[in-house]
Amino acid sequence: MEMSTPLAAVVAGISREFSLICAPDGAIRWLDERAQKLLSLREGALLSSIAIPGTEAKIDQLLRQAAQQSVDAWEVQVFAGGRGSTLLLRAVPHEGDIVLVGSFVPADYEALVGQLNEAMGELSRLTREKERQQKEITRRSEENRRLSSALNDSDRGMVALHAEIEEKSDSLARAAVLKTRMVANVSHEFRTPLNSIIGLSRLLLSRADGELAAEQEKQLGFILKSADTLSELVNDLLDLSKLEAGKVGLRVAKFRLREFFAALRGIMRPLLTSNSVELVFEEPSEDLELETDESKLSQILRNLVSNALKFTEAGEIRVRATSLPGGQVRINVSDTGIGIAAENLERVFEEFSQIDSPLQRKVKGTGLGLSLSRRLAEFLGGRLTVQSEVGKGSTFTIAIPAVHPEVAALGEMVERAKHVDPRRSPVLVVEDDRQTLFLYEKYLQGSGFQVLPARSIEDAQQVLQRIRPAAIVLDVMLEGESSWAFLQGLKDNPATSDIPVLVVTVVDREQKARALGADEFYVKPIEQEWLLNRLKSFTRLGPVKKVLVIDDDEVARYIIRKFLDGTDYQVFEAATGEAGIQSARTEHPDVIVLDFLLQETTAFEVLDDLKIDPATRNIPVIIHTSKTLLEEERAKLQLQTAAILSKQNLSREVAIARIREALEKAGLGVRPLSESQGV
Amino acid sequence: MTHTAELADKFLKAQLAGDRREAVRIAVEDGVNQGLSLSTVHLEIIKPAQYEIGRLWHENVISVAQEHLATAIAQLVLSHLYGYLKRAPSNGRRVLVGCVEGELHELGARMLADLLESDGYDAWYLGPNVPNAHLARMVGEARPDVIALSVTMPYYLPSIRAAIRAIRDAEKEAGYSNPIPIAIGGSASVYKTHTDANDGVFLLGSTAEELLRSFRTVARLSTSKEVGESLRTSATGIESQRGQAQ
Repeated sequence: MEMSTPLAAVVAGISREFSLICAPDGAIRWLDERAQKLLSLREGALLSSIAIPGTEAKIDQLLRQAAQQSVDAWEVQVFAGGRGSTLLLRAVPHEGDIVLVGSFVPADYEALVGQLNEAMGELSRLTREKERQQKEITRRSEENRRLSSALNDSDRGMVALHAEIEEKSDSLARAAVLKTRMVANVSHEFRTPLNSIIGLSRLLLSRADGELAAEQEKQLGFILKSADTLSELVNDLLDLSKLEAGKVGLRVAKFRLREFFAALRGIMRPLLTSNSVELVFEEPSEDLELETDESKLSQILRNLVSNALKFTEAGEIRVRATSLPGGQVRINVSDTGIGIAAENLERVFEEFSQIDSPLQRKVKGTGLGLSLSRRLAEFLGGRLTVQSEVGKGSTFTIAIPAVHPEVAALGEMVERAKHVDPRRSPVLVVEDDRQTLFLYEKYLQGSGFQVLPARSIEDAQQVLQRIRPAAIVLDVMLEGESSWAFLQGLKDNPATSDIPVLVVTVVDREQKARALGADEFYVKPIEQEWLLNRLKSFTRLGPVKKVLVIDDDEVARYIIRKFLDGTDYQVFEAATGEAGIQSARTEHPDVIVLDFLLQETTAFEVLDDLKIDPATRNIPVIIHTSKTLLEEERAKLQLQTAAILSKQNLSREVAIARIREALEKAGLGVRPLSESQGV
Repeated sequence: MTHTAELADKFLKAQLAGDRREAVRIAVEDGVNQGLSLSTVHLEIIKPAQYEIGRLWHENVISVAQEHLATAIAQLVLSHLYGYLKRAPSNGRRVLVGCVEGELHELGARMLADLLESDGYDAWYLGPNVPNAHLARMVGEARPDVIALSVTMPYYLPSIRAAIRAIRDAEKEAGYSNPIPIAIGGSASVYKTHTDANDGVFLLGSTAEELLRSFRTVARLSTSKEVGESLRTSATGIESQRGQAQ
C-alpha cells in the first residue's frame, strides 16, 4: 500500500532518521527537514563542522570511502542540539555526490553507556583515593608505632631517671641528716677531750700540784694555745654547719651600740699582746640603737678584730660605726696590716682558704672565720665586704639593717593584723617563733585567711577580746602549762567553745636533741674563778657547802673537784643520772652541777626526776654542757635551772651577762654580778 | 613481536571482548607478578591498547559503546594495579594531576599520577575535566609543589590559559612566594600554544615517559624554585631532542 502524504508527514514527524546529500569534500548540497532541525545544519555548511572536536577525521574518512562505495553503519560523534550525540550513518555515492542517511543512536542507550563510563571513572578514582589513604594510614600507624616505641623507651628512660633522681635526693637527704648528726656528735666528741686538755693544762699552769720548770711552762703554754685553736676551729665549724642547715635561732633584742662597743673592747683587750698595735673603738657619734642578734654581731666583730690583730704588726686597728640612710648601720674594722691583694679579695671569704705570704705563715687563721662571719652577716640581713691595699691595710665593712628584717616583718604582720581584712577569715596563731609565724602567714594567705599573730598567751587573750577568729592555731610548747590551760579556757567558754583549735606540738624530742641548736652561753671548760664566783652568788640563799657534780666524763668531774680544792665546798661526784639522783636524795647538796648530755639520759630527764622528789625539787641546778642547745631546750632549761653554762667560752663578759639574764628568768633574782666582785 | 607487545595484544583483545577479569589477570599475573615494572605495564601494555582502541573507533571497527567499555576496563585495571604500587620513600613533594577543563581523556593523566606516586610523590589525582575554580581551590587546600595538566584534544588548548590564570590567582591568596611550576602534557601539548614564557609553565612532552623522566630529576631537588628550574631545563632538553628527532 502506498503511504498517503498526510500519513507520510506523521511518520516523518516521529522519525529519527534524516537524510542529506553532500559533495565529496563534505559541503552540504541538500538536507531534509529533520537534518536541519536535529543537526542544525544548512546548505553550504561542512558536514565535519558538527563533529565533536578531534573526530573530524572520521567524518572525512567516511566521505572518502563513500565517494567510492556504499558504507554501512559508520559511527560519528557530533554536537547536535547543544549536546554531544552519536550518529550512525549509511552512505552511497550518487552522481558525484554522496547520499547519506543517518539515525541517532538511541539517546538512553547512549546516555547509559556514557554514564557507565563516567561512573567507572569515578569509581576508579574513588578506589584510588581510598587506597591512597589506606596507604597513608598504614604509613602513619607505622610511624606511630615507631614513635610510640621511641616514646616508651624515652618514658622508661624518664622513669629510670626519676627513680635515679629520687634515689639521689633520698641519699642526699640521708647524707644531710647524717652530716648534721655527725657534726653534732663530732663536736661533742671533739670538745670533751679538748676541754680536758685545756682544763688540765690550766690546772698544771696554776701550779696547784707542784712547781713547773720554765721549759715545762713554755710547753704547757703551747699545748694550751693549740687546744684553744682547735677549740675555736670546732666552734666555727659547728657554727657554719648550723647556719647552713638553717638551724640557727635568731635572738633579737634591743641594745645600744655604745654599750656594745664597750663590751667588745673589754673582750678584745686581752688579745692585745703587742705594744706597737693600738686597738681603737671610736665612740659612735649618734646614740645608735639596734634591734638584732647582738651575740652574732659580736661574733662577727670579734672575728674581724682578731684577724686584724693577727695580720697587723704595727699601727692601729680602728672600729667605727656609722648609720646610713634607710635604717642601715655600717661598722668598719680598719687595720694598718699587710693587706690583701686584689685578686684574693674574694678568696679570703672562702672556707679554709689561705693566702700565701710571709706574715701568713707566721700566723695561722682558722680559715673559717671570715666565711662564718660572712654567713652571720647575711643571717643578720646584711653583707660583709672588704677593701684592701697590699702593704697599707684592710678595711672590713659589715652593713646590716639596724632592725633585723624579721623583726620588721613581724612588726608589719602585727600591724596588718590590727586591721582585719573583711574579705578574709581571721586565724589566731599562738606561736612565739617568728619563722613559724611567717610560714603560717604564707600558707594561709593563699587560701583567704588572715594571720593574727600572738606570741604569748596574754597576747592571744588580748586578740580574743577584739576579734572572734575563724580558727585558732595553738603551739602547746609555748609556755608549758599555760597553753593547756588556755585551751581548756577556750573550750569552757561558750563564746569560744566552737572555734576550731589546731594544736601544734613537738613530736620527737630525741631527734631534736640530736640536732644542732644555737646557744651563745659558751663558757670554756669551767674556769675556777668563775665557778667560785657563781657559787658565791648562791650564798645569798644560804651557805653553800655541798656541790654535787653529775657528769659521765671523769676529767670534767676531776677538774671541778680540783677547782674547789681548798675551799669550803664539799664535792660529790656521780657518773650517771641515776647515781646523781640517788646522791641528791641522800646527800642533799646545795647546788648541783649537771652535764647536759649524759650517756644514758638527758638533763631533762634528770631534772624531771629531781622535780618529782620534794627533797630535791628546790636544789638549784647549774647545767654544764659542751653540747649546743636548741631554742626549746634552752628555754625549757631556763625555766628549770639556775643558769646554763657551756664548757666553751666565748667571753667572760658575755657569759656573765647571759648568766645574769638566766638567773633572773630562773627566778633566783640575784643582784647583778659586777666586775668589781672580782669576776 | 616483543613480549610486552604480545601482552598488549592480548590485553586489547580482552578489553574488546568485555572480559575485564582476563584484562586484570593479564596485567597482574602476566605483568606485575612476572616482574614487569608498573610503568612498563602502564606504558607498554595499557597505553598502546588504548591508542589502538582509539584508532579502531576511527576506523569504524568498533563502536563508541565498545570504546567506552574498553576504557572502563582499562580504568579498572589501573585501579587494581594501584594496589601493587611499589612506593619509593616519600620525597616530600606534592603534585596535583588532572585534565584541563573540558578534556575527558583522562587515562594518560591517571597513569602519570600513579607513576609519580610510585616515585615517591604525593600525587593527588583530580580526574578529567577539572573546572578551573576547583583547581584554584585545590591550590589552597593541597598546597602542591607542582601541578600537571593534561590536554589531549587541541580543542581544549585554550583552557590551559584560563587554568594557569586561576592557579596564579589562587597562589597569591594562598601566600606562595614563588609561582608553582606547571607541567602541561598530553598529546595536544605538543602545540605549545596558549602559554607564555613567563607563565612558569613547562611543557614536558606529549608522553608520560618524557614527563616522568623530567619529574624524576625533580625528585632530587629540594625547593619549589629548584623544581621549576629543573623542569625548565628538562623541558628545553626534551624540546631540543624532539627537534632533532624531527
